[in-house]
Amino acid sequence: MALYNFKKIMVVPTAKDFIDLTLSKTQRKTPTVIHKHYQIHRIRHFYMRKVKFTQQNYHDRLSQILTDFPKLDDIHPFYADLMNVLYDKDHYKLALGQINIAKNLIDNVAKDYVRLMKYGDSLYRCKQLKRAALGRMCTILKRQKQSLEYLEQVRQHLSRLPTIDPNTRTLLLCGYPNVGKSSFINKVTRADVEVQPYAFTTKSLFVGHMDYRYLRWQVVDTPGILDHPLEERNTIEMQAITALAHLRAAVLYVMDVSEQCGHTLSQQLELFNNIRPLFANKPLIVLANKCDVKKISELSEENQKIFVDLIAEGITVIETSSLTEEGVMQVKAEACDRLLAHRVDTKMKTKKVHDVLNRLHLAVPTKRDQKERPPFIPEGALLRRKAMETNAPKRKLERDLEVELGDDYTLDLQKYWDLINPEEKQDKIPEVWEGHNIADYIDPEIMKRLEDLEREEELREKAGEYDSEEESEDEEMQEIRKLASQIREKRKLKILASKEKDTQGPRMPRTAKKVSLSVQHFSIILNPIGNTLDFRSRSLVRKRKREVSAPPTSRTRSQSASRPPRDQSGVRDAKMLKKVKTMMKSSQKEMNRQGRKGESDRHVFDVKPKHLLAGKRKSGTTSHR
Amino acid sequence: MPQNEHIELHRKRHGYRLDHHERKRKKESREVHERSHKARKMIGLKAKLYHKQRHAEKIQMKKTIKMHEQRKSKQKDDDKTPEGAVPAYLLDREGQSRAKVLSNMIKQKRKEKAGKWEVPLPKVRAQGETEVLKVIRTGKRQKKAWKRMVTKVCFVGDGFTRKPPKYERFIRPMGLRFKKAHVTHPELKATFCLPILGVKKNPSSSLYTTLGVITKGTVIEVNVSELGLVTQGGKVIWGKYAQVTNNPENDGCINAVLLV
Repeated sequence: MALYNFKKIMVVPTAKDFIDLTLSKTQRKTPTVIHKHYQIHRIRHFYMRKVKFTQQNYHDRLSQILTDFPKLDDIHPFYADLMNVLYDKDHYKLALGQINIAKNLIDNVAKDYVRLMKYGDSLYRCKQLKRAALGRMCTILKRQKQSLEYLEQVRQHLSRLPTIDPNTRTLLLCGYPNVGKSSFINKVTRADVEVQPYAFTTKSLFVGHMDYRYLRWQVVDTPGILDHPLEERNTIEMQAITALAHLRAAVLYVMDVSEQCGHTLSQQLELFNNIRPLFANKPLIVLANKCDVKKISELSEENQKIFVDLIAEGITVIETSSLTEEGVMQVKAEACDRLLAHRVDTKMKTKKVHDVLNRLHLAVPTKRDQKERPPFIPEGALLRRKAMETNAPKRKLERDLEVELGDDYTLDLQKYWDLINPEEKQDKIPEVWEGHNIADYIDPEIMKRLEDLEREEELREKAGEYDSEEESEDEEMQEIRKLASQIREKRKLKILASKEKDTQGPRMPRTAKKVSLSVQHFSIILNPIGNTLDFRSRSLVRKRKREVSAPPTSRTRSQSASRPPRDQSGVRDAKMLKKVKTMMKSSQKEMNRQGRKGESDRHVFDVKPKHLLAGKRKSGTTSHR
Repeated sequence: MPQNEHIELHRKRHGYRLDHHERKRKKESREVHERSHKARKMIGLKAKLYHKQRHAEKIQMKKTIKMHEQRKSKQKDDDKTPEGAVPAYLLDREGQSRAKVLSNMIKQKRKEKAGKWEVPLPKVRAQGETEVLKVIRTGKRQKKAWKRMVTKVCFVGDGFTRKPPKYERFIRPMGLRFKKAHVTHPELKATFCLPILGVKKNPSSSLYTTLGVITKGTVIEVNVSELGLVTQGGKVIWGKYAQVTNNPENDGCINAVLLV
């Protein structure tokens, strides 16, 4: 059985959108280029692919619609009946049936035309066949316009239905319009149902949840029911009837004692008797609502007799008022208890109960003597339980205090502290002292610990632990200690002596200055050897070839300062320098652009980059063919 | 949990955002500009479809505007003049109209004698043999070329059985055999899907007629019992001729017009 999620049904597109979507998808996702001179099998395959692609898309989308929408036979009868009331079962089934037929027709069309295309012997013929196939599929879908619109509306409404679990504990409210059902549910749960003075304010089912005895309960609010036979009921009332018929719940029949709803008590009693058959096998409670306006005791004789009769039949009647909350808790407790008992009873009657019962075993300890050992319940818990039962006013909450004081309210938690000296409650405590965090040092038992420690110390002192100790070492130990100290002293002296020795002789400090030789000095040095130096200023030095210029044989580091840097050697003036620089940069440009290290770097990382060579040439990006 | 009409309920209780109406108004006025921008910037197939749709919309808009304007102006009402009413200077010409009717009848009688039938498509393009029949090579060395395969849509009768494959000269593939045609009644303007009874005449060649090849202009006989036509004598008409109006091999279906 498929699990349906009414909120997750896919959007049903309109016929026109559906067609546009599928056709544009076919155009985008299938190859678009074909020529007359291609081989015929290629042409055929090209067009067959388009036909099959379109058919596949239609088929998928329509199948999804068919599976998403719930089958009325597969869901719980409550929902099946509700959907019948809201959307008309026949119309719903017909719409889905039409979609199914359309799907099959589209499949057949595609099959036929693919078969025909096998005999296509020219591009024109195959193209016309493809055109005819797609056109036929779209026409089939155009005819489904009404069904698709209807299904879209159903989907929107279905997703907003309240999620009522038909199998869990439920309380169902019913009665005439305007008697106070929605006010009741607003009081008991967190549901926010609209309450207005006109009839049929609630037009559909609403659900709220509440807790009782650590269990979750559903409360279902229904639209009001008027008193006429079943055939004449409209959609709104039928929803209430459906809920009554299918949900196994405790029924709370709400009656308006003050007759403010516009219907007399006798009319309400009529309705009660008419829908009595729907209450079979369900715990029933009658709520005499709006009792803050009029109590039962204030009613006339005949009306009081109605209630007396009801009680005589064994139906519980409870006076309630949604305004003053009188009797609301009582109703809640009563209804929940009776429903629980009813559910347990029904479960006991089924066959499965024995499996559960066999596994349950209450172990009771055997008595070993006559002493009474009752269960221990602390006093606080007893008091609280009593308070819960009697619904006594609870202790004053901070919230109430806040509401009372309004703007003057401040949150003061120190008043709840439990101190030995209660006057110290409002004292201010410092947080930091001398750089230390006081909270780190707080120990609740510090005084006790101090006392313990002092006691222990006294004991130790008495035992003599802190008396001075005598030399209990023997002769050997003392000899060893003496020797060790002598060795240590000797070692230290040796280290000092070795430091004073001068093993490497006098050394120059490293702070010697750079010697700058002038050109004259150069010539004086070189002349005795026989080398002549051409005496020209640096700017007029002719550009020499690399082979001619030979570096001097002995050079110290300081001599290199007199040579011009490499990018300025051979350069005459600033203009030439600038030109040289631009030449260098422009020769580097190409290599930089290609990301190469140098002229010898010929590795191409990506010969055919995908982002440039893949994809279709669309009309926006191509200006040539 | 939001139930039933929670959006409307929220609106009812809390109203709209403070700037809701202004935003809505501005959005609507911006829509005009956005639409024009879209219409100008769109390219390709999308643009063609959009412009076609928009053109149809604009025509409708212009028509409604014109209709609204028409109320204000006065126009000549053609219905007021009764049929047959002739102005004074044409009153003498009655005799001639009768003569015309007579000559028409004579022309029709002559045509019937000649045996020319009036058909919706009097002239059609002749289909050559190379177009209709494809040569199939057979034999151990694929040298024999006496077999032909029909490449157009054809009709074979109910009790049709092929000749033994070794001896059959004309192959009519099963994929190209059709049994039904979509026949339009020219006066009723309604189309029915009727079963074909046979091919009466193919205008290109008598060979095609015997083979049952259906091309554009072919006259076929269809079973019209579905229409429920009755002769004056009370007999039920169940077969009528129809002429094919499309190229069935390109469209995958046979569309025909009933010859009444």
